[in-house]
Amino acid sequence: MQTLNLLLLSAGFGVITASILAIAAVGLSLQFGVTNYINFAYGDLLTFGIYVAFVCNQRLGLTIWVGLLAAIILTALLAWLLNLFILQPFADRGNSPIIMLVVTLGVSLILQNVILAVFGSQFQNYAVNTGRPLHLGPFLFTPLQLSIIGLAIVAMVGVHVLLRYTRLGRAMRAVSDSPELARVSGINTRFIINAVWVLTGALAGLSGVVLALNVASFTPTVGYGFLFVIFAAVILGGIGRPYGAMAGALIVGIATEMSAAFISSEYKDAIAFVILIIALLIRPQGIFASRGRA
Amino acid sequence: MPPIIFYLLTLATFAAIYGTLVIGLNIQWGYAGILDFMYIAFVAVGGYVTSLLMMPPATPGMGETYILGLNWPFIPAIIAGGLCASLLALLVGLVSLNRLRSDYFAIVTVAAGLILWTIAGNDTPLVNGWDGISGIPQPFANALNLDINSYGFFFLGLCLVILILVYIFAERLYRSPFGRALRCVREDEMVAQGLGKNVFVLRMKAFVIGAFIAGIGGALLVTYVDAFNPSAWTSGETFFLWAALLLGGSANNRGAMLGALLVPVLFAEATRFLPTFNSSPQLVDAIRYIAIGILLLLTIRFRPQGIIAEPRFRVPRRLFHRIGTNLPVAVAANSTRPTIVAEEEKTDGK
Repeated sequence: MQTLNLLLLSAGFGVITASILAIAAVGLSLQFGVTNYINFAYGDLLTFGIYVAFVCNQRLGLTIWVGLLAAIILTALLAWLLNLFILQPFADRGNSPIIMLVVTLGVSLILQNVILAVFGSQFQNYAVNTGRPLHLGPFLFTPLQLSIIGLAIVAMVGVHVLLRYTRLGRAMRAVSDSPELARVSGINTRFIINAVWVLTGALAGLSGVVLALNVASFTPTVGYGFLFVIFAAVILGGIGRPYGAMAGALIVGIATEMSAAFISSEYKDAIAFVILIIALLIRPQGIFASRGRA
Repeated sequence: MPPIIFYLLTLATFAAIYGTLVIGLNIQWGYAGILDFMYIAFVAVGGYVTSLLMMPPATPGMGETYILGLNWPFIPAIIAGGLCASLLALLVGLVSLNRLRSDYFAIVTVAAGLILWTIAGNDTPLVNGWDGISGIPQPFANALNLDINSYGFFFLGLCLVILILVYIFAERLYRSPFGRALRCVREDEMVAQGLGKNVFVLRMKAFVIGAFIAGIGGALLVTYVDAFNPSAWTSGETFFLWAALLLGGSANNRGAMLGALLVPVLFAEATRFLPTFNSSPQLVDAIRYIAIGILLLLTIRFRPQGIIAEPRFRVPRRLFHRIGTNLPVAVAANSTRPTIVAEEEKTDGK
């Protein structure tokens, strides 16, 4: 009974991790879908968002929700500028996805260490009231954690509505399926790619701040460390597939948190990497890639 | 010994060791096009295994816990270190090298490297965890019985001998039919497959050979600095080696050695003279990594082939006669030797 309770409790934590992961994974997946290269700097976009909110919250004394909004806007701006001035010019020169990966690695090194140079490596936190934990059935959530789950649901529904029911979203899916076909159909692919980068940045900023809210204290390497957990979720769901990424996030989030009930939580990330490697080995196309394109 | 000589000796030793390491990475990336972001883990495995084999058994209660401790002499220990690194490469390669696209493979290598790093740090009985191992016996120190100054020169000599051996080996590998097949795999996997080459086995061999050299270099590095812990092999260190190779020139061993001299040695040393700020001790490290990132971007943008580019492939005259003349071979007007001009349309970093 004790074990069952512990398991259910960690499953509850898993849902929170999964919510954060889902936001991040959808952002990464959307970007991969349209640009076709892996972005190693994505984790550092999360970190950027975290520190934007940190400045608003701790230095300017605003509430964390204003910080969250600022993080979303400024990270979206940064992602757009990053694409406009660095990544797109490199891609235009015909660099292969492999070289683009190395380019994003360079960007990641720069971004992470600029944040490190400005804020130092010490642990930081937000001034925020987590509230009293509430019992919901077997689970235990603080109001703050409930709002993280709520934000994730809003973001997922938002992305779903955007992709399904708007012209912009349809164009994004078209570019992701085939840039050439999209172009001959009269879609301004360059505009769409920029729009996707803005959306990716916004999701990165949002997921970064909720990640920092959940882990309570953070350093400039938090995003880079989380990146591989995001990769695990994205690859599990099938890279470039936002809906798969949501499902992948749920699996990875719950599995990593529940593993902490059995082995040292130091190995939580390692569990995510093991899932990632197993996922890549068994179904590199993603577990939900049964229909549609591979 | 005057301090300046000692300082230069240290630099030269590091340059020789890093030269070895970057040549190993060159065999993986430059020759075969394998994106290996866990290279530093192979270095670490070689370093750990060699040191642990040479060290005396761990004494309980002395604060350091580690496995092995067999008092082995240096030569079998360094070979075992290289072999263990190869074994790790074999394992990683077996499960992922044949099934995954190279960018997915890159993610697996980062993840595998991080798993090993987490285990090495947290599982203290294994290699003494985050504190790391220290007091590693120096190679041949007992047999030679030299004073500290002469030993420094001896160790440099040892590193240079290994660097030269590795260089000659890598050059022969490059020119061999195996090396040509590897470059074919790198340029176009389909073509290699079409010509009946087993792409997986070729890649695997390059990956394992590169890891062996990483292990050897790691053994030298760890026995030289005399202490080793997980903070010495973070994934950031891998990018130092990558930056060195890309800047120096991929697929060119002289370029690899030049890169090793420029990036991990001169560059890291030059930034040592930056003023340190007591308020943020991490600042110099941060600036160093920012500069490495900028260097990577500038290299890929302005000189994707590196400082010393890969030589163009020349068809030997005898081969040319044997094949006949109806090949699409560009013959330079004023050259006696026909050359296949191997300029690609797209610059993919070579």
